[in-house]
Parts: sequence; C-alpha cells; structure tokens
Amino acid sequence: MTTQNLEIRRSSASLWGEKTGMRHLPVVSKFIDTTTCIGCKACEVACQEWNDLEAVPTRQTGNYQTMPELDAEFWNLIRFNERDFDGGVVWLMRKDQCMHCEDPGCLAACPAPGAIVQYENGIVDVNPEACIGCGFCATGCPFNVPKFHAKTGKMAKCTLCVDRVTSGLEPACIKACPTGCLQFGTKDDMVALGHARVEQLKGNGFANAVLYDPPGVGGTGVVTVLGHGDHPEWYGLPADPHVPVGVRFWKSVLRPLGVVAMIGAVLGAIGHFMYQGPKEPRARDGEPPPPPGA
Amino acid sequence: MSATASRPSADPAILRARRAEDVVVGEEIVRHRLATRVIHWTVALFFFLALFSGLPIWTPLFGWMAHLLGGLNVCRWLHPWAGALFFASMAVMFVHWLGEMRLEPRDREWLRPQKVAAYMKHQDDGTEGGKYNGGQKLFFFAAALGAVGLLLSGLVMWFPLEFPRMLRELAILLHDVTFILFVLAVVFHIYLGTAAEPGTFHSMIRGTVTKPWARLHHPRWHREVLGEETRRP
Ligand code: HEM
Ligand code: SF4
Repeated sequence: MTTQNLEIRRSSASLWGEKTGMRHLPVVSKFIDTTTCIGCKACEVACQEWNDLEAVPTRQTGNYQTMPELDAEFWNLIRFNERDFDGGVVWLMRKDQCMHCEDPGCLAACPAPGAIVQYENGIVDVNPEACIGCGFCATGCPFNVPKFHAKTGKMAKCTLCVDRVTSGLEPACIKACPTGCLQFGTKDDMVALGHARVEQLKGNGFANAVLYDPPGVGGTGVVTVLGHGDHPEWYGLPADPHVPVGVRFWKSVLRPLGVVAMIGAVLGAIGHFMYQGPKEPRARDGEPPPPPGA
Repeated sequence: MSATASRPSADPAILRARRAEDVVVGEEIVRHRLATRVIHWTVALFFFLALFSGLPIWTPLFGWMAHLLGGLNVCRWLHPWAGALFFASMAVMFVHWLGEMRLEPRDREWLRPQKVAAYMKHQDDGTEGGKYNGGQKLFFFAAALGAVGLLLSGLVMWFPLEFPRMLRELAILLHDVTFILFVLAVVFHIYLGTAAEPGTFHSMIRGTVTKPWARLHHPRWHREVLGEETRRP
C-alpha cells in the first residue's frame, strides 16, 4: 500500500527481486509480554478501529476469547488458554497476529507477483490489487495467519500498521495497551528488552521463561515473552515453526526441474526430427511411390 | 463455366469418415470418424486452456501468458473451470476409446526398451498392437490416470479453505508432478502426431489415412481393414 515510501526487500513470485538498495531501514519488531497481559482487548479494538475493519460477530467458545481464530476482518486476537499447572490453574493470554517472519512462508508460497511483499524494515504485507485469492499463503504460513476475505476475494492479515510505522508512529495495538506489555521498536531493542524480562522472570520463579523468536523462520517481527517457555503450545504457538517442506520443494526443486524438462522435451523432439527425419512409407518393389505428405 | 462446376466433388472417403471407421474407400482408409475427432480436439482445447491459464500461476516465467488471457485474476478463475471441462471431456474420450485401447500381450512386447528404441530409429520390425501401438495405448491410459490425479489435487486447490493443510500441501505437489509429466508426454504426442509421422495429423483432421501409411505404422490393422485378417475377437 505505501510502497512508494518503503524499500521492498522481497516480493512474491518475483523473478529478479525488487530490492533497489536505495533506502536502509532498521528492522522493526513488536514486543509482547504474555506475563503482564491482562486480557483487556484494547489492542483488538484499536486494530479494528485503525484498520477500518468491520465488526465481526463474536463467538462464544466457553472462555473469554473473542472468536476461535483470526479472521479476514479481525487481525488481532487475544488467545485465552487455561492449563492445569503445579496443582493449580494458569491462565495464559497471548496476542495472536501475523508474526512478520524474517523468512515468510506466505511469501514463499504466493504465486502472484507482488501480492505479498516484505519491506526493508521486515514488515510483511499483502497487496490486495495483486492478490488473486488462491489461498496458497495460508498453506505456506506456519502460524495459520492469512485469512480469505469472502467479500473481496483476497487474503487479509495484520500489516503491522505499515501506514503508521512509515509515518513514524507505533502500531495501533501498541498505542492502546494500558499495561506496557506491548512495545514497539527496532528488532535489536525489542530482543534486548525481551531478554532482560526473561532474566527477571527466571529470578521470580519462572525457570522456563523464554523469548519466543523462532529461528526456523529466521526469527519473527513479533517477539513474545513466554513464562512457560517449555510449552509454547500452551499459548497456541508451534514449538519449531518452518516454511513447509512441501512449499520449499515445490518452489526450489520441482519448478526449475519442470521448466528444464519441458524445454528439454521440445528440444529433444526437434533434435530427433533433425537427426531422424519423418517416418514415411517407402515405395516397395513394383508399387508406385506414395503421394507426398500422405 | 461456373465456379461450382469446376470444383472437384467431395472426396468420398472423407464423406464416409463422418460416420464409419476402419473402412477402405478407394486408396484411403477411414481411421477416425467425426465423433472421434471432435472428442479428441475438445480434450486438446480444454487441455491447452487449462495449461495456459495454469502456467502463469505456476511460475512468473510464464507470466506473459496471463496477460494474453486477461491477467492472473482471470487465470485463477478460469483455470479450475478449464480443468473441470478437461476432465469431463477426458472421461468421454476414455469411454469412447477404451474398447480399441485394451492392452494385449503383444503391446507389452512393443513396450520393451529395445523395441521403443528401434521404433524411434525407424527400424521397428512391425511388431503390431492393432489399430494403436503399445506406446499409444500407454499414453491413453497414462493420460486418463493423470487427469484423475489433476482433478483430485485440483479440487483441493480450488477450495483450499475446505481442506486440512497437510492435504493442501500434498495436493500442490501432486498437481505439479502430474502436470509436468503430462506436458512432457503431450510434447512427444504432438511431435509424433505431426512432424515425425506425416499423414497422422491428417487422420485427426479429415479422418482418413492412405494405405501405405497404414501398412507402415499399423500393419496388423492394415491387414484387418483390408480383410486379409479377421479382427481380434
Ligand atoms: C495440438 C495438440 C495435439 C495434436 C496435434 C494431437 C494429434 C493427435 C493425432 C494425430 C492422433 C491420432 C494418432 C493415430 O491416429 O494413431 C492423436 C491421438 C490421441 N490423442 Fe492427441 N493431439 C493433440 C493433443 C492431445 C492432448 C492434449 C491429449 C490429452 C490427453 C491427446 C490425447 C490423445 C490420445 C489419448 C490419442 C489416442 C492414442 C494415441 O494416438 O496416442 N491429444 N492425437
Ligand atoms: S506469520 Fe504467516 S502471514 Fe505472517 S509473515 Fe509469517 S508466514 Fe506470513
């Protein structure tokens, strides 16, 4: 959307790449501290308001969660999880949204040139005008984030408020958070903040606290402090997310191999014809030769 | 002298080829009656429609094809429908040709690597499968199988939201492998049906072949239609 102001680092289905090298921007990141989130959903509302998303009917699933999954019109969802732990119950809240992966599976899987871009500052964005609504990105995303918008026929997801960030503002969700459990800044700063918080938690009895920044996708543009870091699945996070091997194999092996094989087949046919020539009936003894081209 | 009077009257063989098949008319033999030809070209039409709308989604290398069809969005809409019609016409062709394509022991003989090599070197000794040789029958069944694979995987990709992600991933891989093999087979099929074997393309257009063509490419069928040998029961 704001492609004029932002250098594109990577673009889906691009043959040559779109990077110009004109602008150098620091990589940005959200910081989410699940241990100080109070589940007030201010970020959910701020996201809906800023992005002009329609109100989606809430769906009661037996807890405080607004709806079971992210939606094309609902890009920011607080997940409420209850777990038996140490003779009691822990109540875990995590803000779910696009993770803005360094190595985005959505971008790898997308077949439409420019429909998913990664800007120089690490933000992963969908360009609706280029999106063809095939849904391949949903297959590529290890976090199940991009959602199909039935009305527009395009995919939709969190933009990390690229429009705000480009103007020097923090994302709407961060702005709205009353406890400070959401922060925004350069990736380096947010990682440092996260590690400091993890150390603090370890001193407070959370021996397994970690900063979730999964290396399988090159790290994410959303770093998350987990009190129970030995169980990311308690928060609805995959332990070791990767771009699916099928998507990788398809793009980097099958596709080039297929193109080469097809060109080879055409050249093979031409070569055979030049070497062998057409197979035509030869005149037999005592018979007139067949008419040409027969 | 009027123009109509000077025009040669229609070739009787081509007139017979509207309905009859495997009959001798003068120096020609009817190989494909009209119905066969219409079915074959319907399959080919939908195959290429699906191919040209699918290739630009497959890789941006073929992005220019999307422009010919009105853009990638059009391709995303058109491709599944073209594919569905391709499958439907393939199903008709399968039923239409199944009787003539039944594999016999001597087809297995034809498909031995030495025989195929000899065939490509134009040194085959006339090992005969009948109206179609082992390679043609193999292509017929491979195409039918490929069409089923493309349909099943294509349905998953048409409605990705209805299927679990594992299945979607597998579908993309299956669709890719099947279509690549299909394209390779069709390249050779077109080559053999046109430049490599003169007279063959004519049989798919007007329906007829010459006697020397039949004797060269399908000697057993040649003897059968000339009444020198009875057809396989
Ligand atoms: C421009 C494209 C094509 C051309 C020029 C072409 C040409 C021909 C010709 C001349 C024949 C008759 C062979 C004979 O009488 O022995 C034939 C048969 C056949 N065609 Fe095609 N064809 C084309 C595309 C296709 C496609 C896309 C399919 C897809 C399934 C297909 C399937 C078949 C089959 C199954 C047969 C019968 C078996 C065989 O002869 O191999 N054709 N084709
Ligand atoms: S979380 Fe999913 S949608 Fe977001 S960048 Fe990663 S792969 Fe893409």
